[in-house]
Amino acid sequence: MLLDVMCMYLKWTVVCPAGAAPLKVQMPALSPTMEEGNIVKWLKKEGDEVAAGDTLCEIETDKAVVVLESSEDGILAKILVQEGSRGVRLGTLIALMVSEGEDWKQVEIPAPEPITPTAAPPTAAGPAPPLTTTPSAPKQSTLLSPLRLSPAARHILDTHGLDPHLAKATGPRGLITKEDALKLLNQRDERRPAPPAAAVTSPAPVTVSAPIAPSTGRPTFPPLSVPGKPGMPGTFTEIPASNVRRVIAQRLTQSKSTIPHAYASVDCDLGPVMKLRKQLATEDIKVSVNDFIIKAAAVSLREMPEVNVMWSGDGPQALDYINISIAVATPRGLITPIIKDAASKGLQEIAATAKALAKKARDGKLLPEEYQGGSFSISNLGMFGISEFSAVINPPQACILAVGGTRAELRMAPHNPDGPVLHTQQLMTVTLSSDGRLVDDELASRFLEKFRTNLEQPQRASL
Amino acid sequence: LVSCFTVGQHNGLQHLRCDLHRLDEGPSVQTVLTREDGLRYYRTMQTMRRMELKADQLYKQKIIRGFCHLYDGQEACAVGIEAGISPTDHLITAYRSHGYTYTRGVSVKEIMAELTGRSGGVAKGKGGSMHMYAKNFYGGNGIVGAQVPLGAGVALACQYQGKNEVCVTLYGDGAANQGQIFESFNMAALWKLPCIFICENNKYGMGTSVERASASTDYYKRGDYIPGLRVDGMDVLSVREATRFAADYCRSGKGPILMELQTYRYHGHSMSDPGVSYRTREEIQEIRSKSDPITMLKDCMISRNMASLEEIKDIDATVRKEIEEAAQFATSDPEPPLEDLCKHIFYNDAPLEVRGTHPWMRLKSIS
Repeated sequence: MLLDVMCMYLKWTVVCPAGAAPLKVQMPALSPTMEEGNIVKWLKKEGDEVAAGDTLCEIETDKAVVVLESSEDGILAKILVQEGSRGVRLGTLIALMVSEGEDWKQVEIPAPEPITPTAAPPTAAGPAPPLTTTPSAPKQSTLLSPLRLSPAARHILDTHGLDPHLAKATGPRGLITKEDALKLLNQRDERRPAPPAAAVTSPAPVTVSAPIAPSTGRPTFPPLSVPGKPGMPGTFTEIPASNVRRVIAQRLTQSKSTIPHAYASVDCDLGPVMKLRKQLATEDIKVSVNDFIIKAAAVSLREMPEVNVMWSGDGPQALDYINISIAVATPRGLITPIIKDAASKGLQEIAATAKALAKKARDGKLLPEEYQGGSFSISNLGMFGISEFSAVINPPQACILAVGGTRAELRMAPHNPDGPVLHTQQLMTVTLSSDGRLVDDELASRFLEKFRTNLEQPQRASL
Repeated sequence: LVSCFTVGQHNGLQHLRCDLHRLDEGPSVQTVLTREDGLRYYRTMQTMRRMELKADQLYKQKIIRGFCHLYDGQEACAVGIEAGISPTDHLITAYRSHGYTYTRGVSVKEIMAELTGRSGGVAKGKGGSMHMYAKNFYGGNGIVGAQVPLGAGVALACQYQGKNEVCVTLYGDGAANQGQIFESFNMAALWKLPCIFICENNKYGMGTSVERASASTDYYKRGDYIPGLRVDGMDVLSVREATRFAADYCRSGKGPILMELQTYRYHGHSMSDPGVSYRTREEIQEIRSKSDPITMLKDCMISRNMASLEEIKDIDATVRKEIEEAAQFATSDPEPPLEDLCKHIFYNDAPLEVRGTHPWMRLKSIS
């Protein structure tokens, strides 16, 4: 998204000669702590008449969504930053207006200036991305005669005996910030061990937003780490969250905080399943333990439809389908593709579907109907060596089954006619997290019992 | 083009009439508006309006920080009052003072540089929005209602010096319930000080509407034994006539007089107030469309053929340019140097040393 905006922004280097002089609309600071905002929605279209006091757009500040009012009468001529843009820095030109009576289509779009938000004294406001580390040529910062140091910067420079004139000022009006002082310190450390190599200005996510971000960025406290040197003492590293992660975060929080989770665990003997699996493998039919689990869960749901419900806002709503969501880990985050109508599918079909869906999920090619609308989720962490865990319910589903890994245990076989004998059992712990409002502890235990029976006697699945 | 026109009741315009309290007759209901006066008022009000909007923009770009209380919507009050008094009279107001600073003779450049805190500002960048001063203009006062006793004091000085000057003391509808104001009324009435108390009623304290704040919203009657008049503060001519009347009243030695100007501010109380949480946008838009002071004056002059639309547009363009230049100056001027920190603490004193934030820091103070 940012790249798109960047391309749009850089395309307008041609200025229409006979255009109307535009009134600039810049990104305002709508709260005292605001550095950048997101444009949520434009409330006026290009060509709309705007009166002073009319609302132009909704801007999401660091605190709330606030409207931007126009202080001029005129016509909105051009929207330069589209709605949905995030991280628009203070002072960026977001729209152009012309006075009434002028032709808004002929508005002169100013060439994108090297990002000074205002005509501030020309200190370090060059178009260079702010966070480059160039040990080769420490530029003499073009400061005005009084050297402006922040107290923290002064302390750092004094302690290490550095010359403040070598620091490149990036603060407002030529202020040398703590960040700049730390950078100077790093440069000195870098120059000592190795001869000045051409600095790799790594295309960190921050520099992608450089055309939008003015280089007179305010220092964040504690200072951001330099890209390429994360984890420097006294700094923090920001990992930008992908959209998927953000959504996952939001949903998980919503789920955990609004749904009363009830947990129940049971150990299942995987002996029969393993035997059947081996047998099928000799016939060249490849099914995994997970497929057995899915089938067992689906059959259990069919036998106990009171667990196949979803929360309808104030009560259980019975579902007429049994769609099992399986959790797949992708580099972008966890996603749950659905196996539809799992109870009536055979093991082979489930295996094939699961494999195909997992591949699609990892490629990021899942369609919305392939991951929305399940009735029950299964999450298997056995392959990572987890013995047991409890999962967070995916709203609006009622339950999620967390499957652990198989382990061999010595157990007493109580029903041996010759008396109690120790034998090895392949045990697997499953934990059911259920929505306490829909599936209470008693129902959950009955379900788990049924699930265990179905898993330990896989031939029951064909019933 | 007509060079002057009499505006008055016989033309069907009711707006010059005022409500009176303890007065047998009020300001004249007819007045003469000359073309040059009209254009001057228009230009002044437009300059004030654009200056405040520019301050708004600069504040939102974080070039002006701190407090900023904007005056747009109330321009007619400042311009009308200035038209009714002379430059040798005195004026003191509260923190919504950028307009009065301008009408009292400070250039826009200096005002904006003061807002941005640069050395070219009227208070050398050390005062900011609420501490701007000029000759016969005593600011610019941050504490609510504190300027009213000061204003009464200035009026006492006027009476003492016998130069036939008056002092205009302004306060708002929120301050009108403060105790020291009534103390000032008492002393002013007792000693018949030439003080014009003016309450600028813009209908909202910070966010409290007058109905929710005051038991009596007739602020012009609050002086009790002090005669009062209520004036439409959105019409510059009404304000001018009322101020002339009040100034004559005071100059004739009859004592203080109270004026309530009913006006409206478009912005919120200050820049941190969006202004729409206690009133609707429709209300603001309605006032903008029906009673905007600048638009009213413009329509008045154009409909009576006293000015052409092109002239008005020219004035607008010139004003816009002037404000842009002032803003440019205000952003590019250097800040006052650190050595100036303690200067001008006293007036006309010998240089002395002032203690800083710890006992070993010594700062020079030069008057």
